[in-house]
Amino acid sequence: MKKQLEHEFVSNLEKHQNIVHKICRMYTNDKDSHNDLFQEITIQLWNAYPKFRGDSKFSTWMYRVALNTAITLYRKSKKELHTQNYDEISFKIKAEAYNDEVEKQLQLMYKAVKELNDIDKALVFLYLEDQSYREISEMLGISEVNARVKMNRIKKTLRNILNP
Amino acid sequence: MDELEFLKQNWKKQEENLPRLSYDDIYSMIWKKSSSIVKWIFVISIVELLISTLFTIFMADANYWDQLEQLHLKKVTIFVYVISYLITFYFIYCFYRNYKRISTTDDAATLMHNILRTRKTVRTYIAYVLISTGIYYLVIGYLTVQNHQLIQNIEDTSKYTFDAMDWVKFTVVFGIILAVFLLALWLFYRLIYGILLRRLKKNYRELKRLEI
Repeated sequence: MKKQLEHEFVSNLEKHQNIVHKICRMYTNDKDSHNDLFQEITIQLWNAYPKFRGDSKFSTWMYRVALNTAITLYRKSKKELHTQNYDEISFKIKAEAYNDEVEKQLQLMYKAVKELNDIDKALVFLYLEDQSYREISEMLGISEVNARVKMNRIKKTLRNILNP
Repeated sequence: MDELEFLKQNWKKQEENLPRLSYDDIYSMIWKKSSSIVKWIFVISIVELLISTLFTIFMADANYWDQLEQLHLKKVTIFVYVISYLITFYFIYCFYRNYKRISTTDDAATLMHNILRTRKTVRTYIAYVLISTGIYYLVIGYLTVQNHQLIQNIEDTSKYTFDAMDWVKFTVVFGIILAVFLLALWLFYRLIYGILLRRLKKNYRELKRLEI
């Protein structure tokens, strides 16, 4: 029974691991910290998995546990707080599909998002992942109206970062 | 088109450049030990509860009970001990109940609230131990000084009685020792919980600010 649960969980996570990697990339600044956070999220997901009843999608459930781990449970290392390796935090897309100008703009935008605080980053991340305002508000524990208001403010903040 | 919309349109395209872990990599991770702040808070809280409880047990040795017997305070002390153990068990129960409520499947605000509440239980317990111990020893100290002459059977009591100045000295010295002890404890708390909870508190304030 336990073996089956392990297999089911690992297969699900393997399939949806991109979500966790994107969160790790959003909240950490170097490869070691990325791996540390990925591991902590995996442990928390596994600990919570027996309570996952399948009434929501595995991916939706993952967003909640993974973001909670990144925002609340994970303790950033001292080293990471002082590291800003631009290459590791940059937004990487398939190079041949885009011209330099577009890619440069995307990277600047991604860098601006990474300068936001933890909560704003979570809002932006869920928005980029195409989650509805209702889902965003439920995951963060705020009202839907406030999620919308906050998102409008974040857009203004980002505009200011990009056009000082 | 706003900038965020532009990023959103291209968001999925980064996926090809994300790291890819194998089934075995992930399988080995589920057996690793967590290093989350909740685990640290749990360990530190248990140590605090144990130290506070052991502190009250070891303070009461045979000699201590003999002294209380002479001062006719044994019955009162036993009563105080029974009450304090009941209060201690109540705090341990509250801590356990609050700790069990911490769940990563809750929304972010509820999760943060539950972690902070668990911490608050232990903090309140420590404050209770310090305040009650302080009051208790103040009372015992006062009664010991008052009854000193009765126990020692001293004829010339003038040397052993506290005058007003002696009381002032006694209170000042007691106050200084207490202040130094509390300051050291406060610094310890600032250090440990400053490191563990600074980020959580900041994020919780940010979420709560949104709800005003």
